[in-house]
Amino acid sequence: MRRARRTAVIAATALLALAGCTGHDGGEVALTVSRSGCATEWHDPHGGEQTFRVHNVGINTTEVELVDPANGAVYAELENLGPGATRPMQVTLGRGRYAFRCLPEDTDAVTGPTVTVTDGPKRGAPAIVPVDEQVLRGPVDTYRSSVQHAFPTLRRDVRRLAAAVRSGDRAAARRAWLPAHLDYERLGAAYGTFGDLADAIDRLPAGLPKGVHDPGFTGFHRIEYGLWHGESLPALRKPADALSADVAKLVTQFRTERVDPNDLPLRAHEILEMTLQFELTGEADQGSGTTLATARANVDGTVAVLDALRPVLRSRFRGLSAADAALHKLRTLLDAQYRHGTWTPVDDLSAPQRRAIDGAAGEALERLAPIAALAQVRRAQ
Amino acid sequence: MSESRWPRRQLLTGAIGVGAGAVAGVGATLGSQRYAHADEPAQPDHVEFHGAHQAGIVDAAPARSTFVSFDVLAADRAQLTELLTTITRRARFLTAGGTPPNPGITAPPDDSGILGPQVPADRLTVTVGVGASLFDHRYGLGDRRPTHLRPMRTFPNDDLDPAWCHGDLSVQFCAPNPDTVIHALRDVTRATRGAMQIRWKLDGFVPPPRPSGTPRNLMGFKDGTANPDAADAHRMDQVVWLGREAGEPAWTRGGSYQVVRLIRMRLEFWDRISTAEQELLFGRRRDNGAPLDGTHEHDAPQYAKDPVGSAIPLTSHIRRANPRTAKTASSILLRRPYNYDRGVDAVGDLDMGQLFVCYQRDLAAQFEAVQTRLIDEPLVDYITPFGGGYFFALPGVRDDHDHYGSALLA
Repeated sequence: MRRARRTAVIAATALLALAGCTGHDGGEVALTVSRSGCATEWHDPHGGEQTFRVHNVGINTTEVELVDPANGAVYAELENLGPGATRPMQVTLGRGRYAFRCLPEDTDAVTGPTVTVTDGPKRGAPAIVPVDEQVLRGPVDTYRSSVQHAFPTLRRDVRRLAAAVRSGDRAAARRAWLPAHLDYERLGAAYGTFGDLADAIDRLPAGLPKGVHDPGFTGFHRIEYGLWHGESLPALRKPADALSADVAKLVTQFRTERVDPNDLPLRAHEILEMTLQFELTGEADQGSGTTLATARANVDGTVAVLDALRPVLRSRFRGLSAADAALHKLRTLLDAQYRHGTWTPVDDLSAPQRRAIDGAAGEALERLAPIAALAQVRRAQ
Repeated sequence: MSESRWPRRQLLTGAIGVGAGAVAGVGATLGSQRYAHADEPAQPDHVEFHGAHQAGIVDAAPARSTFVSFDVLAADRAQLTELLTTITRRARFLTAGGTPPNPGITAPPDDSGILGPQVPADRLTVTVGVGASLFDHRYGLGDRRPTHLRPMRTFPNDDLDPAWCHGDLSVQFCAPNPDTVIHALRDVTRATRGAMQIRWKLDGFVPPPRPSGTPRNLMGFKDGTANPDAADAHRMDQVVWLGREAGEPAWTRGGSYQVVRLIRMRLEFWDRISTAEQELLFGRRRDNGAPLDGTHEHDAPQYAKDPVGSAIPLTSHIRRANPRTAKTASSILLRRPYNYDRGVDAVGDLDMGQLFVCYQRDLAAQFEAVQTRLIDEPLVDYITPFGGGYFFALPGVRDDHDHYGSALLA
């Protein structure tokens, strides 16, 4: 099994433009879009709950957005409306000005005429000023440099681990394993960017036909398994050296690798999704009993992503301070399990302690999840 | 708890007597309520047990099921034959319904009583399959193994728990009501005690259409829209049933390869991603099941017009599973999935997902070809196959004188 490396599932999006004609159909507004314009025939607008049946009569896949013409903020959207397809767009309209915007694949956006709603509720659905690649450039740079800043420590600690394994001193090797592993786990956000190397470095035995004894089982957890299951240290030299080499490769590769801007908003909750699934369950544990330490490192990784995104989120995400507070709560609960230089193995937690940590992780996840949706890259032009 | 064991047992006996009466009363009430629904389509009260093929494969899945994998304890071939004969006899009775014999004061009752004194057929089906391990040295069946029958492979996105994999025999019970399923399971395991032992078991349920069309899975998506038409006998001969197959032992005729995969869904995670992302992962709309380039559930995706995946991403589940090309037409299989609920996991998240069952003539060319195309599909972050197995669903029991596996053991 691999760790999630959710890449933004964005369809490739096709060509040309759209136009419109409208008609009422039992409280629904039927719009057609084609190459001659974008919903140009939305007459007689009304406030309140509305359903637009948008029919793409053109030959190209398009996105259709309902926007505030003053600032481009998006009230509702239909992604990837294929040629010939009809899909409903549901939205609550408050009083104000609206326009449809069509973003056909590979060509410029077309904005339909502005209409004004004068009846119905004062405020309708909230709108988000769209996030495009330009807006995310700053956060991506911040994030990249935080990763690069952390690389020298990771390389050093992985080398120390390999040296300790070579020395034949099991206690020293066990002591060296955790700092190196945590260095890596703090980078959490980078799973997607690290590609196949992420598997080589930090995979779990799941999905391998021979499990922990499979030759494909490599990286930190392979070494952990050996160190805590009485394998001879000479037998672990090869995996330890391979880990050093893979980390070195990663550092080199990262310099030239492009970070998909969509990754950052996704990782805001995804790092902790994996923490809940693999660390807080104890599933990732290969003997060291340090999954709570990993969880703590993953909180740091999440905070790094959130901090990078903060300039983008401040004006768009009302839940930001609640998300910060939830992360703080989780961090405090985890820190309480680090005593006298050791971490409590997750199975040694009392049931109330365990529920408190799992509950805090779940709450943090719920609070972070909207970021992926609202900061998803949307086309500007 | 200071009483000696004897008084407690006497007490229990009395209490059970009262309880049984109460349960029967509730059952009667439910039964009359059920028949009060005049708008329910009239269905025959039983599914025919005898035939060239087993029931529970191409017939529409009723609301409830349990899928049970057994290890066979029979000492030799004669005892294995006896086991399969016993299962046949019990399945024949249970699927027809009737009055269980009364042993009087000589023994505990023959029947669990949970369906009342007369056992209704309640459209029960019992479907029996054999696993690769049945063809090992124990019963001298090595040369009769269906050609493709092997232990289930580990696919790269699997996280298989050996306690939830494989088995010598599979028995699937399906019925519209959960008590019918439990009754049948208790009956069959009791009649075969000592000859086979449960290895793993998972209960399934299928929801009604919401609001119409194909039932939804626990991710909220209609699941099974593109299944071949199970009412089309000719199509089922092409897709599901073994005929006179080259390279297959003759006894397999009328049977089908059965694949079961126990697939955990990460529902909390899933609920935290946007509808748009969910739809791109599947390739269908969540509201009505239409392909993303279409309008209605049964619109066929037009992949030829969407070569780069503008509307339906190339990595989406439906496009990987069934690319609808001439080359991949031979990999179409018949799915008969159920949802499952296994409680909660170690962190308090719901342990729910899909009890995936499918049938085909050729394991490699159908299930394994599809599953290979699905390796590393983006949906894998939200699902974890943790168990299952490959089985061969036996040919049907022809008549009152026949039994499961008669051709295999002849």
